[in-house]
Amino acid sequence: MTLELRSINKRFGDRDVLRNLDLSVADGECVALLGPSGCGKSTALRLIAGLDDPDQGSISINGENVVAIPAERRRVGMVFQSYALFPHLNVRKNLELGLRIRGSRAAERDERISNILEVLQLQNQAEQLPSQLSGGQRQRVALARALLRDPLVYLLDEPMSNLDAQLREELRPELKRLMIGGSQPVVYVTHDQQEAMALADRIALMRNGRIEQIGTPQELYHRPETVVVAQFIGRPQMNLLKPQNGVMVGIRPEDIRLDQQGVSCRLLSREWHGASQMLLVESERGPLRIVCAGDQTISEQIQVNWERSDEHQFDLDSGRRLSD
Amino acid sequence: MRRHSAWIVLLLIWSLAPMLWQLLTSFTTSAALVDGSIPFLQRWTLNHYRELLSSNPPFWRYLANSSMLAAMSTVLTTLLAIPAAYALTKIPKQWRQPVRFVVIAAALFPYVLLFLALLELARQFHLGNSLLALALPYSALQMPLALLLLTAAIEGLPVDLDDAARLEGLSLRQRLRWVMLPLIAPATASTAILVFLFAWNEYPIALTWLSRSDLLTLPVAMARIAGSSIYSVPYGAYAAATVLGAIPLLVLVLLFQRQIVRGLTNGAIKG
Repeated sequence: MTLELRSINKRFGDRDVLRNLDLSVADGECVALLGPSGCGKSTALRLIAGLDDPDQGSISINGENVVAIPAERRRVGMVFQSYALFPHLNVRKNLELGLRIRGSRAAERDERISNILEVLQLQNQAEQLPSQLSGGQRQRVALARALLRDPLVYLLDEPMSNLDAQLREELRPELKRLMIGGSQPVVYVTHDQQEAMALADRIALMRNGRIEQIGTPQELYHRPETVVVAQFIGRPQMNLLKPQNGVMVGIRPEDIRLDQQGVSCRLLSREWHGASQMLLVESERGPLRIVCAGDQTISEQIQVNWERSDEHQFDLDSGRRLSD
Repeated sequence: MRRHSAWIVLLLIWSLAPMLWQLLTSFTTSAALVDGSIPFLQRWTLNHYRELLSSNPPFWRYLANSSMLAAMSTVLTTLLAIPAAYALTKIPKQWRQPVRFVVIAAALFPYVLLFLALLELARQFHLGNSLLALALPYSALQMPLALLLLTAAIEGLPVDLDDAARLEGLSLRQRLRWVMLPLIAPATASTAILVFLFAWNEYPIALTWLSRSDLLTLPVAMARIAGSSIYSVPYGAYAAATVLGAIPLLVLVLLFQRQIVRGLTNGAIKG
């Protein structure tokens, strides 16, 4: 199954939310829409789901244009950031409502629901109301509901941003096992680059209603096409050196190493993270962030260096990558 | 805490004492009402109730009329107001504010000013002397209030619920039935009670639309009792009528107590 968006435009009032958006997601592929809030990623998801209509452009699922098909019949499984569980129904009935409306028989419903509850380890919560569940449990119920939809496409709208960091890490493999890698395309909206890199086959980095760059996490990390992408992907952020002759040079903090023959710097601050540490230093080429091993002893004055091949060069005016 | 309970007791006395007075009056003989020297044990009687129930038409007839009218107005209002309120939350944003303004203005308009015009309408369309027809202006007059309460309740629901239900395959009607209705039940209950109360208490329109004595509603009938004689005020009978007229409302409020309180505090605490 495939999903294809072609030259989608969408305005709200006098604001262009999406401009000429093209996106295709292959059979079983997971594409993350990554970007700051207001970049149009959630709007794109709502358009695919049919909750909003595009002003222009086509959306096809398996080659069939679905723009005219209302959300009720579009067969997408969506997980909302707020989970959107029905607060007046217990877990079982939350899952049952859609199945019943779509005309599945009672025996079949019971079987499918008990199966999915078992897979997600929710058997003991079946008769509880959403308000009685923990955040992680609610999230799993929302996943279960989307799975039971038998969708053609999975849409995930920041499904984990309401959970704490530890729970997120626990749920990631589960999400991967259940939804990603089946035959359905998955579109995953997030503003968390780590999550995008961990789950997605390809990342589409969005800004101002456009896709700034789309590619595998490795491509975005190693060959960012614009300064914006370079700054968004990778933590800590890429260093941008003082521009010279209309060229801006970027160097990743993890590509910088200590070297007696290198540029001398003055240490400004230091964060120790255990396995690694992050240094902020002042050099003649501007402030630099540096990541080095946690056990390295650091003095006030250090010398750093990096390989020329690790430099990323961007045009100062357009912010585009200069070919190297 | 002690000062709070003192205030509560004061408030209870303030609001319950008149009712208690009415209750006592309704069981007191007419003679004892104006003569304090009659001994305690000889003051009491059930005669006022007997009179009321044996008059022609009997008093329970008015109770039945009012109950029927109030029930019809309530059902009609909620049936129309729920889908309308749902629609009001779905219209484009730039329309919502003006529409709400108009609805509030309508809710605040003193309806008594309309009663002549309504009488004219009743004449024109031969709607006089029909309880069913009287339910029409009643629910129309209560529609703005009902809309305000119900739109507030629907807007108080989490925004994604409706979208999630759509993606689950629920049509507009199914979403209303399986998601919206159960969730706005408390607000619906409190709205219904308010509409019922209005219809139960309404006087000027009922006075002008109804003239057949077997169709009168409680307020009109009670006014007739109060003004039945120019030589004396029938305090006892009037008090008995008040007590009887309050019973159905008390029962209703007791039955739906929980929903009403939940509906009134709705929005104060978001779930």
